[in-house]
Amino acid sequence: MANHVTVIGRTTRVRGRVTGAADLDVRGFVEGEIAVTGDVTVDSQGMVGSAIHGRRVVVRGAVKGDLLGDEAVLLEEGARVVGDIRAPRVAIAQGALVRGYVQTGEGNAPAVAAARPQPAARPAPAPQVSVVTPKAPAAVAPKPAAKGGPAPVPARAAQPPALPSAAQRRPPPPVVPALKKARGQIVKKKER
Amino acid sequence: MASTVIGAGITIEGEITTDEDVLVTGTLRGKLTAKEAVTVEHGATVEADVTSASLAIAGSLTGNVVANERVDLQAGARVIGNVKAARVTIADGAQFKGNVDMDV
Amino acid sequence: MAQARTTPRAADAREARIGGSTRIRGRIHGEGDLLIEGHVEGDVAIRGSLTIAEGASVASEVIEAHAVTIAGALQGDVSASGPVRLAPGARVQGDLRGTAVSIDDGARFSGRLDCEFDLPPELGGTPRGESRARGPARR
Repeated sequence: MANHVTVIGRTTRVRGRVTGAADLDVRGFVEGEIAVTGDVTVDSQGMVGSAIHGRRVVVRGAVKGDLLGDEAVLLEEGARVVGDIRAPRVAIAQGALVRGYVQTGEGNAPAVAAARPQPAARPAPAPQVSVVTPKAPAAVAPKPAAKGGPAPVPARAAQPPALPSAAQRRPPPPVVPALKKARGQIVKKKER
Repeated sequence: MASTVIGAGITIEGEITTDEDVLVTGTLRGKLTAKEAVTVEHGATVEADVTSASLAIAGSLTGNVVANERVDLQAGARVIGNVKAARVTIADGAQFKGNVDMDV
Repeated sequence: MAQARTTPRAADAREARIGGSTRIRGRIHGEGDLLIEGHVEGDVAIRGSLTIAEGASVASEVIEAHAVTIAGALQGDVSASGPVRLAPGARVQGDLRGTAVSIDDGARFSGRLDCEFDLPPELGGTPRGESRARGPARR
């Protein structure tokens, strides 16, 4: 039945950690850290007092802690977040309130690295992309969930410095459509 | 159905308090205090003291249990700990080690 | 996306526009709205709304305006008296301050957001600023 949907009900309070490989729906109060490989939803009445790590983290309630999304962090209307936010995709709707540092993009420190050397870095990797592509998805795809953050690091270290930005930009498309995220993909294509 | 569900694949380590009923099909370590019914399904692992209105166990539970109404150890259940409730049933096929206290 | 804003641009004489082939280095200030389609290096301080269009790029210490909509690239902080919005193609590096800040899916951003609001008392209320509503009841 509803076996795989974990729900922290409205009057439920958890003092401790929630971990695992499944989706989580918080309608009550979780004081401790949440780290799952599935999606995390914090309902409009949900509250979390610590960090959240999930594939997609969707917040409509209140969170005091960092949000880390392997795929996306989506703050919807009514969300109140005090903490840093990091995910390949971050969307903050009108009516969502945030105090913290926000960083979008793949990998661990892409925005700063990517924003500046772009003009130089972009043309360079282009011809070699076809060589890199078969490797990169293989490295990323098998462990999409918990290790989304750390995973790119070894790949990056192992390759010449010009490539990672291309390699990192590449992998998501193969992964993302499998999870039926058409929107993100289209946007990415447009950007390039 | 249950308002709070700890699904398969999820582990909660800590203390849970709730006014609602709770369904556990995953793993809970710590302590659980519920005002309504608690169900520990087959395949679930609970290592916690449990206080609730009633408790039905088909999975594995290690800890002391206090229920206002009843505790049912169903076939397949594996329970280690003391059980205190007005009514206690232990089904054929349930494993149990501990004390039963039925005088509330 | 920013169509609602850009449509009346020709009619509105108070809207300034920096076209796509224009490159400005220096400070821009004024009363009305501003649409940037080109490239600006320098601070921008206007009373009206600012739109940084897709394909445009701005690098500045700080941008001051009322409403700010960004679909292009910005390196620098934004201090808005109205809402700030990053459209899907935006690439922004800097801190954003405004009455409301929204980031569309697909925008790339790194920087701080600093909204004024209170957390629920269960989460410790507000670390700074005054706590309203239920006050010190923290159970």
